[in-house]
Amino acid sequence: MTNDKDVKVLLIDDEETLLEYLSKRLLREGFTVKATFSGEEAIQVAGDENFDVAVVDLKMPGIDGVETQKRLKKIQPFLQCIVLTGHGSVESALESGQQDAFKYCLKPIDYEALVETIREAYEKRNELLNAKFREKVEDISSSGLGARGIKRAINELRKTYGID
Amino acid sequence: MESTDSPQDQLKRVSQELLSNKIQLHQTTVFLQSILQNSNDLIFATDVDGVLVSFSKGGEKALGYTREELAGSFIRDLADDPLEFDKLTKASREKGSAVRLELPFRGKDGQTIHCDISLTDLTNTEGKTVGRVAICRDITHRKKLQEDLIQIDRLAEIGRIASGVAHEINNPLAIISEISGWAGAVVSDAKGLSEEDREELETAARRIGEQTDRCKAITLQLLSFARGSGPAIASFDIHSLIKKTVSFLEPHLKFKSIDIVLNFEDEALPIKSDPKMLEQVFVNLVSNAIYAVKEKGTDKGRIELKISRAGPNMEIMISDNGTGIPEGDQKKIFDLFYTTKPLGKGTGLGVPICRNIIKKLGGDISVESQEGTGTTFTVRIPV
Ligand SMILES: Nc1ncnc2c1ncn2[C@@H]1O[C@H](COP(=O)(O)OP(=O)(O)O)[C@@H](O)[C@H]1O
Ligand SMILES: [Mg+2]
Repeated sequence: MTNDKDVKVLLIDDEETLLEYLSKRLLREGFTVKATFSGEEAIQVAGDENFDVAVVDLKMPGIDGVETQKRLKKIQPFLQCIVLTGHGSVESALESGQQDAFKYCLKPIDYEALVETIREAYEKRNELLNAKFREKVEDISSSGLGARGIKRAINELRKTYGID
Repeated sequence: MESTDSPQDQLKRVSQELLSNKIQLHQTTVFLQSILQNSNDLIFATDVDGVLVSFSKGGEKALGYTREELAGSFIRDLADDPLEFDKLTKASREKGSAVRLELPFRGKDGQTIHCDISLTDLTNTEGKTVGRVAICRDITHRKKLQEDLIQIDRLAEIGRIASGVAHEINNPLAIISEISGWAGAVVSDAKGLSEEDREELETAARRIGEQTDRCKAITLQLLSFARGSGPAIASFDIHSLIKKTVSFLEPHLKFKSIDIVLNFEDEALPIKSDPKMLEQVFVNLVSNAIYAVKEKGTDKGRIELKISRAGPNMEIMISDNGTGIPEGDQKKIFDLFYTTKPLGKGTGLGVPICRNIIKKLGGDISVESQEGTGTTFTVRIPV
């Protein structure tokens, strides 16, 4: 079971009132939330702080949702992005970046469904992270380091991936 | 030498001429008859007063009358607007002939037959008008095609407007939805509220949310109708969907004694379909039923919803004891923009949207109705 407190969510939408209430609700739900009002702002914030899940509006002035999401992934490769699209732009959104996003959701998204999707995205992120970690561990064990060397290397890894 | 015809010779010559004229006349008559028999056009001959003398098979076919039925009647009375026809006759009398495009006639069953018509005066050897011939080309088919095209245009226009409106409205709706969710959460934990007030406020916040969801669903539905996007199939309980739909409409039932009878078991009945689309179908059909019952003004209004399995299908029947639909109009209700309701109350989109949705879901919809008694809509969808 996920502890919502551990889930760090980055919200990106130019509709400020919507974001104000959405972040209040998610905070109350127990998530750790940061609200940003443009792609540019989100990218800047992501340079200083780690997030697990981003919820990105597709249509924004400045850099749009798909582009924002791509740049965020460059900074934080394990970040899972949920992209919210208006009716009719789903297909074009899918063409431009399906493989990078965790999910494309049709706006207006139902709150309960969003919460559920955030939790799923968080799970996915952890799975990917663990898989990567195990891969690295394999690499280390087959690298011919001595027992002590392996242990040290693995501890290093734990630290970088934040796994205990 | 002078040739002189004997009276016998003269008689012979005249009778020969007469014979050949008779043959010619016969041939002309046969020729004309065969035109009248075989032409698809409506060809009328009238006397100088406009009384029908003969008309073509094509005329019988298009108008639905037999020759005998029309013998002796005035051609002007067949026109949708006899005064318009009189104008044409006048023009023909003055100039010898006249042409009019798209002059509608009225058939035996009241149907409209659009015709391009040309009228020509018939004169005898002294140049006196003895009658008139009207040749009309039935362009109803072409006209219908034109109207269909206009309808498609209008539909596309509505689609454009709908998507514009829905787009603009979706954002504020999303905000209302978030705020109502937030308000509900705050109220749940607020201190210093009596239990009763808390419940009132929680219910109010929830209702705002529900109604907003309903608006969201409708804007989306309108968009998907306009764009023809496919259904989103999910597993859900159709019983609770119908109960929810009916509760949406409850505000419309206030101050009127209308019994809504849900004729099905309480337990869940799972189905795989598009719940949002079905919800819109039921909202439309039940609203129509409520309107029909109110319109009739009976104080024993009754609307029944019945669900049953019929082979691979689920069959949902929505019956009312409202005004009913006259037999002749039962087909029309499926036409876009057909409405009998006053401006502002009817759009004429409800039933066609329902049919469109049900088609997308792979089912069908039919209506049975008797004027003055009531109406039953039957929706069949695969489970
Ligand atoms: N249950 C019903 N009882 C009587 N008439 C109905 C019923 N349902 C539909 N109709 C007729 O069909 C017409 C078209 O319905 P609809 O497409 O829903 O458009 P609208 O309700 O906006 O008029 C109505 O105006 C009404 O004349
Ligand atoms: Mg209606």
